[in-house]
Amino acid sequence: MSRITLTGVSRSFGQVQVLHDIDLDIRDGELVVFVGPSGCGKSTLLRLIAGLDRPTKGTIAINDEDVTRVAAADRGLAMVFQSYALYPHMSVRQNLAFGLENARMPRAEIDQRIAEAARMLEIAPYLDRRPGQLSGGQRQRVAIGRAIVRNPTAFLLDEPLSNLDAELRISTRAELAALHERLSATMIYVTHDQTEAMTLADRIVVLRAGRIEQVGTPLELYNRPANLFVAGFIGAPRMNFLPAEIGGTKDGRTRLDLEGAGSLEVEAVAASPGDEVTLGLRPHQLRLVDGGEGMAAEVSLVEALGSETVVHTRMEGGESLLAVLSGQHQVEAGETVRFSLDSTDLHLFDSDGVRLQPAAN
Amino acid sequence: MTAQANTSIARRAGAIIMAPVALLARAFDPPLRMLQKFGGTNVMAAFFLAPNMLIFGVFVLFPLAVNIAYSMTGGNALFLTNREFVGLDQYERLFDCGNYLDRQTCREDLFWTAVWNTSSFVVLQVSLMVGVALVTALVLNRDLKARSFWRAVFFFPVLLSPVVVGLIWRWILQRQGLLNFGLYELGFEPVNWLVERNWAFAAAVGVSVWAHVGFYALILLAGLQAIPKELYEAAEMDGTKPGRVFWRITLPLLMPNLLVVLVLTLIRAVQIFDEVYVLTGGGPGTSTLFLTQYIYEVGFASHLRNPGLASAASILMGLVLIVLTLFQLGIVRRNDRRGGK
Repeated sequence: MSRITLTGVSRSFGQVQVLHDIDLDIRDGELVVFVGPSGCGKSTLLRLIAGLDRPTKGTIAINDEDVTRVAAADRGLAMVFQSYALYPHMSVRQNLAFGLENARMPRAEIDQRIAEAARMLEIAPYLDRRPGQLSGGQRQRVAIGRAIVRNPTAFLLDEPLSNLDAELRISTRAELAALHERLSATMIYVTHDQTEAMTLADRIVVLRAGRIEQVGTPLELYNRPANLFVAGFIGAPRMNFLPAEIGGTKDGRTRLDLEGAGSLEVEAVAASPGDEVTLGLRPHQLRLVDGGEGMAAEVSLVEALGSETVVHTRMEGGESLLAVLSGQHQVEAGETVRFSLDSTDLHLFDSDGVRLQPAAN
Repeated sequence: MTAQANTSIARRAGAIIMAPVALLARAFDPPLRMLQKFGGTNVMAAFFLAPNMLIFGVFVLFPLAVNIAYSMTGGNALFLTNREFVGLDQYERLFDCGNYLDRQTCREDLFWTAVWNTSSFVVLQVSLMVGVALVTALVLNRDLKARSFWRAVFFFPVLLSPVVVGLIWRWILQRQGLLNFGLYELGFEPVNWLVERNWAFAAAVGVSVWAHVGFYALILLAGLQAIPKELYEAAEMDGTKPGRVFWRITLPLLMPNLLVVLVLTLIRAVQIFDEVYVLTGGGPGTSTLFLTQYIYEVGFASHLRNPGLASAASILMGLVLIVLTLFQLGIVRRNDRRGGK
């Protein structure tokens, strides 16, 4: 069992504060993904939890025990590094055994744990090879094996798939998910790839500039992003944003005036007439319509992928609008097309970029 | 002045400097094209290598051949043509010993004294040099305050000429030198550092280590910095104690650099001469007489100079250096092969 609690954790390097008052509770057996752009502090946060770095302020607790000043080795955690950090002069077997030998574990138990991990990760044939003689995927498995043999209370994984090619990344991602199922261990996974986060996570922590922007399940983040940043970061291709103005609210509906694209009605939101807002709509939520209805846009590029068609367009006001249409469509660059959209799928953000809440009845 | 103006000035200065080079290149262009057309790439390669080969031939190969020739001649005459051919007599003379364990029984006992001193020096100096260089590199690799300053401090003696090194330490170690002044002020008896045999030998070892350790520490420091930081973090997560980190991670990964340092130090230690010659002159007696000094004195400095004998001794020393160099090349190639995997 392993529950990790961060309370008011901050970290500064000189004058530069990279983490600001992070509060987070990671439940036992949960796979939590820290996601965010480069430099957002996700790896720093992981290192603080690992004990490889100390917070400037705040506390870190594992199973309600304060470990803020406890050495990395004594926290019972295991880490898989981005570069794998395998000892190049040791065989795979020696790499797996190294940490256990440090703990003066009996040889028989070390051998048993190595055999078990090797079977689980299918690395038994490579046990006597050195890391330099393995492929990227095999090295990655050894790195995970080194963590598994320690039987840790939680696994910390720092962008473990980033050095793999696209195909291997997808298969290893599935293996990691299966491993999490099998071990039922708490895992904290750091990535900048939102697809990895969406596919692996029980909960996602979105970070930006050292602050948590939103914590939630992948679908919570996708369906109800708390702000413009999360809305733009989660989901591929990214959400379209269009400037709009609140026209007025009547009978539980709010009218939105879009610049150069007419107006539309949405479920009433807590905003006043004249407020400038941003309308967010997913590329998959747009549909092509015939005739004079819907939002007009000029096609700039068409990517026909077979199962779907990606249409890059520009609206009259100059805003770009991306649509992902299911199936194949005969659309050409330069053509003017019209899109319809379901007003229940829309996201509205105020001028500060915060999600607008439904109006109170 | 703006950055743009600076760039413009730099460009103009570059153009002025490069103008004669460009003119020269243009002048040589037609004949070089002709050479390539009629001679092919091999002739072109030979053409460009010729100046260096000429210099190497005149200053290395020719003296080496002359040296071998001298080692097979006898007498005091300076010019080779005036010297008598004696075959391998000079080598025989060097190896003429009643008992190899007792150099007093050797015909050229000074040669064997120099060999013994050089061997002792090599063992002591190389062990000390590698040890001190390793410790220095480990310390300089830490997050020290003013790290660059400390690195410069350790590297600075490498920039000094050996004669300057010898003179500085003679001023420090002589009877009325700085060290004895300090000892006297602290209430200790002064020590005859350069007069007492063991102290003089220790001074020779210590001074040569001081003069060159910065260079070897730099090689080891480069090796230490090439070890990924994540390996140490992985070891930290594994609860590895500092001693075990050093023996199981740092040392094995530093081994290629350590071997290079070991062989380079060996080669330079065998050739030790200048700073020790200035420091002790080979004394007291013959306690710091090393092989290079023996060769120099027999060949050029002594009243009964014997260029043939000196040449024979230098050829023998050259053979030792060739063996050590081949050993070093072997290590470098093995490292390259490992690095390529």
